[in-house]
Amino acid sequence: MESDTVLYISQAMHGLAYGMVLFLVSAGLTLIFGMMGILNIAHASFFMLGAYFCYQVLSMTGNFWVSLIVAPVIVGLLGVLCERYLLRKLHAYGHVGELLLTVGIGMVILGSVKIFWGTESLPVTVPQILKGLVKLGGLEYPIYRLFIIALALVILAIMGLILYKTRLGMIVRGAVSDAEMVNALGINVPAVFMFVFGFGTWLAGVGGVAVAPILTVYPGLSDQVGMDAFVVVVTAGFGSLKGAFIVSIIFGLLSSFGVQFVPKLAPVLMFGFMAIVLALKPAGIFGETE
Amino acid sequence: MKNRPVKVILWALFLGVLVFYPSLFGLYFTNIFVIFSIYALYATTFNYLLGYTGLLSFGHAMFFGIGGYGTAIALERIQGLPLLPAIIIGTLAAVMLALILCPLLVRVSGTAFAMLTLAFGQLMHVLALKLRWLTGGEDGVGGFPIPPFHIPGVISLDITDPKKFYYFAMVVLALSMWVIWFFTKTPFGSIQTGIRDNPRRVEYLGFKLPHTKAVVFIISGGFAGVAGSIYALFQNLISADDAFGIGNSFAPIIMTVVGGIESFFGPIFGSAILSFIDELTSRYTERVEIVTGLILILVIMFAPKGFSGFLRFMRGKWLSPPNANPALEETK
Amino acid sequence: MKALRFVVAVVVLCILSLFLIPQARAGMDAFDVNKMADMSDFDPNHPVIPTGDTIKIALVASFSGPAATVAQMYWACATFVAHDINKRGGILVDGKRKKIQLMKADHMSKPAQTKKVCERMVLHEKVNFLIGTNGSNNMKVINQVAKKYKVIAQDFTALSDELYNATNFTKYSFMTVPSCEVVGKALAYYYGKIRRKEKKFYILCQDYLFGHSMAKGFKRGLELYFPEAEIVGEDYHKLFLKDFAPYLEKIKASGAEVIYTGDWIPDAENFLVQARQMGITLPVANLFLNEPNMLHRVGIAGTNRLVNFSMCGAAEGSAFPTADQVKYYHKWHDQWKKWKAPYNTYLYEHGWSASGSMGSYIQQIYWLMSVIKRAGSTDPDKIIDVWEGDSYRDVFNTVYYMRPSDHKVVADYYVQIYGPPEEQKACFNIPPYYWFKGCSNPIKIYRIPALRCAPPMDTKMARCKGRDIWGNLIK
Repeated sequence: MESDTVLYISQAMHGLAYGMVLFLVSAGLTLIFGMMGILNIAHASFFMLGAYFCYQVLSMTGNFWVSLIVAPVIVGLLGVLCERYLLRKLHAYGHVGELLLTVGIGMVILGSVKIFWGTESLPVTVPQILKGLVKLGGLEYPIYRLFIIALALVILAIMGLILYKTRLGMIVRGAVSDAEMVNALGINVPAVFMFVFGFGTWLAGVGGVAVAPILTVYPGLSDQVGMDAFVVVVTAGFGSLKGAFIVSIIFGLLSSFGVQFVPKLAPVLMFGFMAIVLALKPAGIFGETE
Repeated sequence: MKNRPVKVILWALFLGVLVFYPSLFGLYFTNIFVIFSIYALYATTFNYLLGYTGLLSFGHAMFFGIGGYGTAIALERIQGLPLLPAIIIGTLAAVMLALILCPLLVRVSGTAFAMLTLAFGQLMHVLALKLRWLTGGEDGVGGFPIPPFHIPGVISLDITDPKKFYYFAMVVLALSMWVIWFFTKTPFGSIQTGIRDNPRRVEYLGFKLPHTKAVVFIISGGFAGVAGSIYALFQNLISADDAFGIGNSFAPIIMTVVGGIESFFGPIFGSAILSFIDELTSRYTERVEIVTGLILILVIMFAPKGFSGFLRFMRGKWLSPPNANPALEETK
Repeated sequence: MKALRFVVAVVVLCILSLFLIPQARAGMDAFDVNKMADMSDFDPNHPVIPTGDTIKIALVASFSGPAATVAQMYWACATFVAHDINKRGGILVDGKRKKIQLMKADHMSKPAQTKKVCERMVLHEKVNFLIGTNGSNNMKVINQVAKKYKVIAQDFTALSDELYNATNFTKYSFMTVPSCEVVGKALAYYYGKIRRKEKKFYILCQDYLFGHSMAKGFKRGLELYFPEAEIVGEDYHKLFLKDFAPYLEKIKASGAEVIYTGDWIPDAENFLVQARQMGITLPVANLFLNEPNMLHRVGIAGTNRLVNFSMCGAAEGSAFPTADQVKYYHKWHDQWKKWKAPYNTYLYEHGWSASGSMGSYIQQIYWLMSVIKRAGSTDPDKIIDVWEGDSYRDVFNTVYYMRPSDHKVVADYYVQIYGPPEEQKACFNIPPYYWFKGCSNPIKIYRIPALRCAPPMDTKMARCKGRDIWGNLIK
């Protein structure tokens, strides 16, 4: 293959991989906001917790796959606890209160992470099986990044299955659209809220585990990822999983091709795209207008 | 009737403390007070949108920042620019920004409004970082000359002296806050609260919603720019992360909620409380995030009406006659 | 009788001059490890901080927030020095022996907070010295406070050249750390005059003042010492970038032989980890890729042949050529074995240049102590008198010269080549003959002469006009 083509394909794959990570984080965020109206500022902090728990489980068991399963579950449980004991009390007070509560939760997570794991960065390495490169006609691509793409697609498929083929999924979709109505129908909406919040944070945890081997695991991890996820959700429209997926991919591709072709402008591209979308359709590409 | 003299005395006392503050408390606390006042104004402009009009501005830092940068860049580039024009330039920059964003923002409300302001706030942040030739990037604009506060024939004050800056800042900030307060008391103010409580009704009454929101937005943004301007003068430095960062957008939200959304003085209380907490945490602990986070959570969970709500509750308990219903508070 | 009186006069004169000469020679001082106190009771987790009539030094750094690890490091270095000085009885200033009282000043990586906390230190705690800090934008504020309140400030870690240019200079502040251009020029000199092999360089730095200065310094150095070199690419990535892949892809496609970067953690770590994962094995010329935790994560192969600029080193070859240096090494290392978290990690094991530049910070603070001692006072003007034009020989036998015209340090610096543990014996010439088992670390040290990597001087300043790199008037 021509080297230019190889380069462009590589960049496209990088964009895809990054987009998938973004999707894992923003999917949970958009679900939570879409259904509960809570803008979970702490979402990126749960993502960071996922990475930290991954390190912890890894250092205790030496097995990356175990941590991939266990760590996000712990994060999800923490999310459930937050919803049940903190956020639930605030539903009556409106969104600003909930938002600030999540700010507080985010800060507490950041502080706790430093207390338990210290301030230095933690080493998490790619599992042996996934190390190395896959070589295809001149193209060399890290196997682990392919794994990330595959993982995100698998999760997307599972989510699609649950949401569209099960009764639980139907209830969740209904609650995302109109929680009051679903409540009026006799469904235990508070329990659904709890489940969705936990599921959202579980997704963030999976994202954290997925990136731990390729990113620095340190207390600033949440800052890095948080804003990007918000921009995705805002641009895509709240509550739209499909939108989050598509916009994540777009942002991933914008990011890598931006670096390739217009490096000086790269960081602005994402915000510029968002500004244009919002100027044309304030609710986001796939958002429902109120 | 007994309220009137008490109020006058309290105000006189307050003014007295204000005037003699620097001598009473020294340089360091004078500076802290200036920062508190700047943020009090900033939070008040934020609450002008939230508490009074029901609009949550999640990117309010963009006005603060552009006001600060406007003044800083003007003083840096224009030789011999006097003080008041520099502040006016900063304020105008903020007003311009509000005007540009108006057509888009007044069409929406609620979540969409919050998200859009967040988006544009972030955009301004990135622009401030990227346009290094203008804004100095991460380093910001600093070390610019600070001209004296000079009204020919009346007064000339060198405000690089912290004490004199204090008085200057007090005048400007207090004046701004008074203007905003005044606006809330006019019939226009009533329309505002009407929009917050029942926008459709207000529309039916014949008031044009977008126009009203635009005016409110511009006033709020403009005065936030004033706060930013004074901040830049005070620090002799304004930088992108400081002024446009998401933390600076959170600050007025936190202050307003902690102080109480439903009162004009709420944001002011909130700014004072937060300054106090800031001082304590920076002196006595390194675990700043955990302490601030816990305080925030506790306040939200147990005192959602904020400090002024707490005051009102106390006032209701202590000052009203025994069989009066404390719930029947005077509405604004 | 006359002869006797004459002899007595001569003897008296000789004795007097013995006392006077040290005073007159308030010039070069040198670090003497044999004068060091017994450090076996030093624990950075529980430093003994004296109070009362002390010399107060505020360490300004990001003690909270994501960059807290850096401040922790500075604190360990500063308390080590203070412990030593205090155990020796403190420093004789203004006729009294005073101990060193260190204070933490947390700036949370924000310039506004820096101003606040520095003012508190100066106005309330009445500190004599402000030392710091990570982040040149924060250091700028410290210098402003120093200028305003006439307090001495020492920059031992912020590298921006702009901090001491015409706009920002203040006579109260001293930069004892090499600047961005020094680093760039030294590395360029290494490639152009010592290594003379790779010619194609890709510059990847952070997109802010520091990153641009680092790049500028390197390019300047290449112009001077390696004109045949070719810069095949130059990119500035945003701070705290998560995904380096697109940039790495460009580097792969450019045919570069060496990557030059000024990145610090987390960018440095993300960059190196991802580069190695993508199969890029190119050597990296760097300043901050010396953090042992990160190096362990990347592994021996991935850290092999890294080219690291070091602020402290030794003569050519080994890290501990003299018995004194071995002794000094053990003063730190033997205690490290006893420390508890967070100081029991790889980062603190050696207290040397190969561990987050700690070795240099310690020696720079010792320089400050030496200046205070020779000034015999904490009065800022006396400190300035002694420090300007001062020479100090550190434990590594490097002579630092404080250029009087702009308060920047001129000294020889070092370039370290990293290699696997089995090759580390020549450099780490004492048992156990390796720095770390799990990663590459210095196997060779090259000295770059001061003349080749001197920091730039802003001749727009009146005090710098017409002066050479030593600050002397050009005849």
